[in-house]
Amino acid sequence: MKMVLEARQVSKIFGGLVAVNKVDLIVPEGSIASIIGPNGAGKTTLFNCISGFYTPEIGDVLFNGRKIQGMLTDKVAAMGIARTYQNIRLFKNMSAVENVMVGFEPHLKHGWMTAMLKTPDYQKEQKYVINEASRLLHYVGLAGLGDNLALNLPYGAQRRLEIARALANQPKLLLLDEPTAGMNPQETDEMKDFICHIRDDLGITIILIEHDMRVVMNISDQISVLDYGQKIAEGNPKEIQANPRVIEAYLGPGAAALSEKYRREKTHDA
Amino acid sequence: MEALRKKIPLTLPQNTVKIIRIIAALLLLALVIVRAIDVAAESQFGADTWLRLSVSGLIIGGMYALIAIGYTLVYGILFMINFAHGEVMMIGTFGGYFVFEAFNAIQVTAADGSQMSFLNANPVIAVFLAFLAGMTIAALSGYFLEKIAYRPLRGAPRLVPLISAIGASIFLQNAGQLLFGPQRRQYINPVVLDRGIGWHVELAGSTVVLTYTGIFSLVLSAILMVGLYVLVQRTKLGRAMRAVAQDKKTAALMGINVDQIISRTFVISGALAGAAGVMWGIHNGLFNYFVGFLPGIKAFTAAVLGGIGNIPGAMLGGMFLGIVESLGPAVLGIDFQLKDVIAFSILILVLIFRPSGILGEALSEEKV
Amino acid sequence: MNKQSLQKSAGSGLVFGIIVIFLALIGFTVVFSGLIQKVLGQSLGVGQIPSISNFFIFLGFLGIWNGWRASRQDKHETLTLAKVLMRAAVAGLSAGVLVMLYGFVVGGLDARGTDMRKYLSMLSSDSIKFFLFNQSLVLGGLIHVGFSTLMALVGGLLAFGSERSQQQVRTNRTKIQKWSQSTWLGKVQGNPYVTYVLMGIVLLLLVLLPRTWGAYWNYVMGTVGIYVLLGLGLNIIVGLSGQLVLGYVAFFAIGAYTFALTTSPEPHNLVWNFWIALAVSVVAAALSGILIGLPILRLRGDYLAIVTLGFGEIIRILLKSDILKDFTMGPRGVRNIAGPTLFGRSFTSDVDFMYLIILAVLLSIFLAKRWQESSIGRAWLAISQDETVAQATGVDTQKYKLLALSLGAAFAGLGGALFASRNQFTGPEDHALMVSINVLVLVIVGGMGSIPGVVLGAFTLKGLPEILRELESYRLLVFGALLVVMMIIRPEGLWPARRPKLEVPVGQDNEPVPLPATAGGEK
Repeated sequence: MKMVLEARQVSKIFGGLVAVNKVDLIVPEGSIASIIGPNGAGKTTLFNCISGFYTPEIGDVLFNGRKIQGMLTDKVAAMGIARTYQNIRLFKNMSAVENVMVGFEPHLKHGWMTAMLKTPDYQKEQKYVINEASRLLHYVGLAGLGDNLALNLPYGAQRRLEIARALANQPKLLLLDEPTAGMNPQETDEMKDFICHIRDDLGITIILIEHDMRVVMNISDQISVLDYGQKIAEGNPKEIQANPRVIEAYLGPGAAALSEKYRREKTHDA
Repeated sequence: MEALRKKIPLTLPQNTVKIIRIIAALLLLALVIVRAIDVAAESQFGADTWLRLSVSGLIIGGMYALIAIGYTLVYGILFMINFAHGEVMMIGTFGGYFVFEAFNAIQVTAADGSQMSFLNANPVIAVFLAFLAGMTIAALSGYFLEKIAYRPLRGAPRLVPLISAIGASIFLQNAGQLLFGPQRRQYINPVVLDRGIGWHVELAGSTVVLTYTGIFSLVLSAILMVGLYVLVQRTKLGRAMRAVAQDKKTAALMGINVDQIISRTFVISGALAGAAGVMWGIHNGLFNYFVGFLPGIKAFTAAVLGGIGNIPGAMLGGMFLGIVESLGPAVLGIDFQLKDVIAFSILILVLIFRPSGILGEALSEEKV
Repeated sequence: MNKQSLQKSAGSGLVFGIIVIFLALIGFTVVFSGLIQKVLGQSLGVGQIPSISNFFIFLGFLGIWNGWRASRQDKHETLTLAKVLMRAAVAGLSAGVLVMLYGFVVGGLDARGTDMRKYLSMLSSDSIKFFLFNQSLVLGGLIHVGFSTLMALVGGLLAFGSERSQQQVRTNRTKIQKWSQSTWLGKVQGNPYVTYVLMGIVLLLLVLLPRTWGAYWNYVMGTVGIYVLLGLGLNIIVGLSGQLVLGYVAFFAIGAYTFALTTSPEPHNLVWNFWIALAVSVVAAALSGILIGLPILRLRGDYLAIVTLGFGEIIRILLKSDILKDFTMGPRGVRNIAGPTLFGRSFTSDVDFMYLIILAVLLSIFLAKRWQESSIGRAWLAISQDETVAQATGVDTQKYKLLALSLGAAFAGLGGALFASRNQFTGPEDHALMVSINVLVLVIVGGMGSIPGVVLGAFTLKGLPEILRELESYRLLVFGALLVVMMIIRPEGLWPARRPKLEVPVGQDNEPVPLPATAGGEK
């Protein structure tokens, strides 16, 4: 299977703090990989290393076999890695459809000259972008809301708009940072289905940071668990659920033994 | 895929850019040094000139530092350039001036029975009251400036308070012109602080006068800076100020009255600028409503140089700028008209090569 | 009657007293009374003190405002007549007493023969007597107290009345809106032909006015036009791409000096064709935008502001200094700059030049609009709102920031060249920091990122002060105060930018929506 992303021994250090410590992450094409871990485990930092926000001090990040660490984020985006943000970061005073149109930027050929002269090519390109942006809005379920300012959209719609903007980048790898944060159970379910759709319809590989275990366990092909910047476990949802180190990381030392006991009692009862 | 690869130009790794920048900086430094050695070899100036220039640089640097602290304090808390800060200094200058004028008009009988003005009979009281008046009125104007022009804009986009500050600056400048007239005025100093007199230092066959006004200003600005440092580091108010600068929301949750702390920050900045204004008057003599403009810009430059938001940085930046401005033209052997060019060039170079200033820490993305 | 609200009224009254005293100290009372006299159609000689009745009108307005403000302290409370009158009276009385005390002080000093003009330049004996209504000290003071209280009561009554009718006004307003939408007015609003007709009228005015309104207005409006050019450029830099540049005047200076040096007999004896020189100036300014921009791309916000301010000052000081004297004529400036010629015919008259400026402004508006509405404009806006995210979304921020700087600088270059050519002179002091600040202010007052806002802002900032020539020495003061007030009550500007409607409908009814064709596909 072709690997879209290979992160090898990635480490990021802030002052004396090792935020990400020698993490390996290999994501095959067309899969949904999740990164979980307690708060402050270094999940978002790892995302930032992949998307070019940070340059890891040690280690390589390979995207489709090419090294991308040290590249500017716009070049990374142009290569096909798009992302969303934990605390939604839209262009607030632009309309929703404009937000999406900005996402097409790395694939446009226009310049200041063509824009000034409105050459036929330029006009064709603009028309294409508007159409595609409208279609993307429709795809994420925001049809008809496109001319509202981004800041006036409801919370859930803003999350979807962020995804639409990322999709406009035409990525091969989509990084979603807590896409269901702050959503109610129904919205969460919708988002879960939507993420699967993106993978299935568009063939985009997805890496997900998520706290909602129902989402993670349901849709992930592969789960990596970070704690204190280190990867403590990796595997499919079943393996992770049973991993004592993971339980310990989430619930504290001794929790694994307790849960083991609880499970045994439960089977005993049954 | 191939097409995409072609579209992405070769990007240099960040380390390479850093190295290029360092090399460029070193080259520039080398150029400056070569030029300086060249000029020194010509020995156009004797040691006396160098001493004179350094001392005057220190004196003006002290004033810059006092004003720069005001910029830095306000910036540290509100992330805004208080563009009207130079005008606060101007108000302070006028405050001191009127005290001197008043005391000069009052005639008293001195101990030896001769008639003299109160100013000369009691110079210590007069100078003390002049500073008190200048600092108080500048502090008050700082307080009202914040209350009227900035407080209603809390939470607005960053450009909004800046424009308001520019407006306030224009308003105060013109109010000063309309109230007191456009003409230049002369500070009447007590005789003991006359601008011509001072200690005489023999150096390289000529005499350098270290004026009393200059030394007085330098010492006073040092005292005020130490005082401020103690205030910020050791007192409850200082602690609250630092807390508000770090995180307004959390500070408010901890029971700090954020608005009050901001007000007091403006009062303290104003008082320091007022002191600098009175010093400016005593040391330089001539002034008018426009007196605050250039020192204001220079002091802001100094604050940025030192790393804005950083109090020792502002002090260092002020001193540094004063000395560079004073010595720079002589060191590089260029016209003294160009001292401001040197000041601004230093600023630009420092920011290009070290964007956070001399002592500044890298500002987080959210702050810049 | 609660004590707190009365204290508040007294406080607001005192503030008004201070305002009146301040206005008296700066001589505004006399000048403004004179303006009222002129507006009322009576003549007033230069240096003549206006008649007292106009001073009463002036004070009356202030007093009414005082009473109005004092009586409406809380939006949510219901006012009673007694409450209103009490508050207004307290406010008026406290303002009046404060003003009276001031009158006693200055009047007393004046009576003793002290000349206060040495310290307070506007405080002549005449103006003090004017302030006391040409009455004796005590009587004048008492008139102030009485009049202030009276007018405050009137203001309070007005506030009370307006409070009552507020509801009525609100319903009326919606009624009028509904009516206007249902009748022909509503149709007019959305009709493109109306826009064309309006544009035609504007065009006609632009053609006719320069011929009819004389050299003075051509000069004033020419300045406004040049400031529109500058505003359009800075609007691209600050309003669209969000780079706070305080040294915009540097580009203006580069344009002006390039033009000056290539068309003036002194100092280089280069007398190029007007149009070539104009083009070269624009290109030079654009290139300087890139050159200045390259090293400072990493800087953001206030750091960028102060660095560009430094650049502007450096250029001005260099122009002024002696070291470039042979090259730029130093502080004297460059004289005898050529005017425009076309087909060998010179057209340097004020009317012709006005047409040239109008042409340049129209062309610039057209270009600025094109860029702003293109995807370039969108990329700029994205950068201004969140540079980090814009870059991560694939926007080449460095390229676009440089592009904004150089295009914005090009407008300044055009403005500078026209400015130099019109005045036939340019010197270092034409390029002071105040120009940068004026342009920035006009962009923000007009509304950031809004082209009509720039035009409106230029008129407000450069045109209005010319119209209010009476208040010449007060215009900067008023202007500064207006900036502050404007930022407090309307920070988005006079004519804020609106986002265009772009979304096209897809997937009507039950028709299956085709997937975005390109997303995820190989390209």
